[in-house]
Amino acid sequence: MDAFDSLMAGFGVALQPAHLLWAFVGSLLGTAIGVLPGIGPALTIALLLPVTVKLAPTAAFIMFAGVLYGAMYGGSTTSILLNTPGESGSMMTALEGNRMARAGRGAAALATAAIGSFVAGTLATLALTFLAPAIAELAFVFGPADYFGLMLLAFTSVSVVMGASRVRGFIALFLGLALGVVGIDGPSGQARLAFGSPDLLDGIDITVVLVSLFAVGEILYVASRYRSAPPAVNPLAGGHWMTRQDWQRSWKPWLRGTALGFPIGALPAGGSEVPTFLSYTIERRLSRHQDEFGKGAIEGVAGPEAANNASAAGVLVPLLTLGLPTSATAAVLLAAFQSYGLQPGPFLFINSADLVWGVIASLYVGNLMLLVLNLPLVGVWVRLLLVPRPYLYAGILVFAMVGIWGVGTSWMDLLLMFVIGLAGYVMRVYDFPIAPVLIGLILGPMAETQLRRALAIGEGNPLVLMTSPLSATLIVLAVAVLCLPMLLRKLKAGA
Amino acid sequence: MSAISQRRPWWLALAVIVIGAVWLQQGYALPDAAGYGGVGPGAFVMLVGLGLILLGLALMAQIARGASFEPQEAESAEADAAPSYQALAFAIAGAGIPLLTMQSLGFPLTAMLSFVLVTHAFGSRRLVFDAVIGLTLGGVCWAGFSWLGVTLGGALPLAGW
Repeated sequence: MDAFDSLMAGFGVALQPAHLLWAFVGSLLGTAIGVLPGIGPALTIALLLPVTVKLAPTAAFIMFAGVLYGAMYGGSTTSILLNTPGESGSMMTALEGNRMARAGRGAAALATAAIGSFVAGTLATLALTFLAPAIAELAFVFGPADYFGLMLLAFTSVSVVMGASRVRGFIALFLGLALGVVGIDGPSGQARLAFGSPDLLDGIDITVVLVSLFAVGEILYVASRYRSAPPAVNPLAGGHWMTRQDWQRSWKPWLRGTALGFPIGALPAGGSEVPTFLSYTIERRLSRHQDEFGKGAIEGVAGPEAANNASAAGVLVPLLTLGLPTSATAAVLLAAFQSYGLQPGPFLFINSADLVWGVIASLYVGNLMLLVLNLPLVGVWVRLLLVPRPYLYAGILVFAMVGIWGVGTSWMDLLLMFVIGLAGYVMRVYDFPIAPVLIGLILGPMAETQLRRALAIGEGNPLVLMTSPLSATLIVLAVAVLCLPMLLRKLKAGA
Repeated sequence: MSAISQRRPWWLALAVIVIGAVWLQQGYALPDAAGYGGVGPGAFVMLVGLGLILLGLALMAQIARGASFEPQEAESAEADAAPSYQALAFAIAGAGIPLLTMQSLGFPLTAMLSFVLVTHAFGSRRLVFDAVIGLTLGGVCWAGFSWLGVTLGGALPLAGW
């Protein structure tokens, strides 16, 4: 079956009434968390994991996909109306979008953001539809050494790109790796780093780490530096929806944003920040209205918003085809797959075709739902921001407790929540990135397995890692990612 | 230069080294013979431990060179502001109270206590009102999630419920 036929079969799954309902719930939840501070798509999906135990995997992943896309849409609303991005990919939108809102053009900014998100989301999903099966086919040639090389590349790029310094990025990654080795070692049956606690023999649950780092760490950090000023919402009164000129100025940035967002989102550590920043810079350079930038240029909203949504689809390419998460949200999605006993990668397209294509088809459906949900319901989303912060953060802690206590009603999990939450606070205070911890925790055990398989094949000779051209290329790339910034800095200093 | 940019968190580098040393020691204690191709269950653990020690030393070097350690930006928080340790203490208590009460008082009451402590950390002084909201939220979560199949223990284990 080719990609088109598979997609049509996927629509057969996604358009079932129950799945439409879950897509709607996910889109609604995603938009709400995109609007609200202190809670992002990664944390939401982690908190939903225990709740979805009774759901079939297809329904659960359709809802998670809605959360992922909805968060991108929701982030733009607060960026434009409040100058406060609900999530990091909306930071560039705030620059021009909020200026437009202050000038009474908030409605046009919201419209170009929503329509651009729809266009980009749809085009990027189209690219995902036709690229993913091809990449999954390629992945069949991957051996253990190649997989290890790929993970090494993910480790170095995530640690180098995220965070203030490479050392801090790598410390975060290694802390994740350190947590990942706790528990019984599969191949040998040896208990590792359990310190005599039976609760640790099963390892540390990803939900516990994620919820503690993102929710508890954030609550402690914001509480210690709380700014109690109420949000100043720019009214939409007097605004107009997009004029003919707005459409003319928006469509090219939408397409350029998509072209940037999708491939960068698919790269390890590409994320949404880099493509949105690049899109803004390019639009500023190409625009015939450069004088409007900084005062409310519609291109500065259209391009970054498109890039933001396209990157969300890009993230799914390495996740679904190679089982490689390139962002915190993707890492949680991988954990969600594993919790259902599924392993993303080439075999997922064969063994769970209904699920994969159902989820991909639901992305088209979700995008359409979000377009319909977002524009008319802007007022409702803005009102969400009026929830008093003490209740918002205290509520997040209660939900975090549900997520952690619900994993296994284990006192050890509560202790880990407390300790890892404190670590999350310290990481924020001293500017350590959080995402590498998750990547290390999730990919670490997989990297170890592949490394051990490769070394077993090579009878313990580490050079086996360089014998396959693919693994050698990936390892060289990983070293280049690590060393290039240093070399460039030295060359610049010497010039 | 602000007080924040002058911070020298030596203790942090030391903590990373200590964690690395523990992992290295634990990895070393595992039998290598249990593995294939000479790679046992301890090899990767030792690699991680060694990595953390080296990174801890690199962090020390950064600190010695005067690298800046600025707090991260977050919505509703002022990164540059001096932290309120009283608020932090209440929030920590909110995150820590489940350790003491979850097994005896159950989820709804523990949620209420955590809720009240965190709202207090964020400046709310309406104790009774916050407690009612916290208990309601905890009760609804306990009932709702239990109905969904998430095991959250008894409502009040101390009373046998």
